[in-house]
Amino acid sequence: MARPDRRDPDQIRALNSVLGQLSRADGSAQFSTGSTSVVCGVYGPVDVKLFDEHLDRAHVEVKLRPDIGIPGPKDKWLESAILQTLEGNILAHLHPRTLVQINVQVRADGGSLDACAINAAILALVDAGVPLRLMVAAAACAVMPDGRIVVDPVAEEAEAARSLHTFAFAEKGLGEGEGPVYVDSRGVFGIEEYDACYGVCERAVGRVLAFMRSAVESKVTKESHVAGA
Amino acid sequence: MAKPRVVLPGDIVDTHTHSGSDDESTMDVDAESRVLRLGPGLAQINDSVRATAAGICHSKDETQFWVTSNKRRYVAAEGEPVIGVVVARHAEGYRVDIGSAHDALLPLLAFEGATKRNRPDLALGTTVYARVSVANSLMDPEIECYNANTGKAEGYGELSEGYAIKCSLGLARRLFSSNAPVLVALGASVPMEIAVGLNGRVWINTETPATTVLVANAIKNSEFLDAKQCRQMVKELLEKK
Repeated sequence: MARPDRRDPDQIRALNSVLGQLSRADGSAQFSTGSTSVVCGVYGPVDVKLFDEHLDRAHVEVKLRPDIGIPGPKDKWLESAILQTLEGNILAHLHPRTLVQINVQVRADGGSLDACAINAAILALVDAGVPLRLMVAAAACAVMPDGRIVVDPVAEEAEAARSLHTFAFAEKGLGEGEGPVYVDSRGVFGIEEYDACYGVCERAVGRVLAFMRSAVESKVTKESHVAGA
Repeated sequence: MAKPRVVLPGDIVDTHTHSGSDDESTMDVDAESRVLRLGPGLAQINDSVRATAAGICHSKDETQFWVTSNKRRYVAAEGEPVIGVVVARHAEGYRVDIGSAHDALLPLLAFEGATKRNRPDLALGTTVYARVSVANSLMDPEIECYNANTGKAEGYGELSEGYAIKCSLGLARRLFSSNAPVLVALGASVPMEIAVGLNGRVWINTETPATTVLVANAIKNSEFLDAKQCRQMVKELLEKK
């Protein structure tokens, strides 16, 4: 059975990114997979409210705005998912008593929003120059009622799916048996299906990371070309 | 010297010597006694040196390594000249916004010829050119408007008149290094006074507001232009004037 957009089961949608497009933010990125698109702006390290201040590290905060309406429980949940994935990856001890604020604005949700939001956030952090341990990227997949595993599901597939899985992996250790940095699985599934999804997402993350690397490299090269001239 | 290369967070930077393959005995001694100095954008994580920011990795003498990256948010570093705005006055000094996470402290005595009786008088909102004297992550930064060794102002102090603009830290660094193409091109035909703060602020003063705006626009435009394009851009701006 063909997928709604006629992709192969292990084919991710076309990736697109724009770095540093927001002029007021310290760093920003737009990340799109197919019709799903997210803009992320990072401010930091900036002054922190006394209430949130930590004496030994920066406070990391994620704010997510949906494409339509005001943030609901789903958006709050996604905020915490992004925070969990990225907090341990930010070298927060280098900037104690400060705040790193990650603002995520959903532009369009065409499925696999959580993976797209994580990817946008990490690119924005890199653009802002916030010190990071490793590059991280996420990918989602769905197990369809007939048992097929499709990567990067569109909204229609996610609706029909028996289970949905999102994994985030760090670049170093990918494919070397190093575990994921974030997992979200929902629905009914067996251990074999989970393992298969793990492998599918791991390969997809590899492709996303390669894309991110070329996007960041081209921006850095563009700037340094000017400096060298 | 190793060739500069693009690094991303998590990339391992090879800090081992590349040159001494023909003379292995001395290389081993070097490797033992070598003290590595890691600059911005690098950190030792476990047994390897890894990049923590995206940028170009440079090295010098195979003992010094650093990553240059373009940012917008300033993190104070000792010895760097910055442009700040006075936001508050205390008994012992001024609080100055230099664009970093915390406001910097400018002691009343950190001016040329200042004594307890003879204090500088800066109004709130005054722009000052100063040098960062204390910068570490645990304390608020401190700045000074004189050279502590000679007691002379050496160009630091209040920036009266003029116009301050903001730019990226990378552009500020390029403007600060000698003969930035845009400044050379402007300087050839426009008389001007300029102060560059490495916190991404540039102060400009010329004879007329129109020229000040022209210089400000030229500097903002030069962010992604090379030397030749800079000359062309400045030429076009001057013709339009």
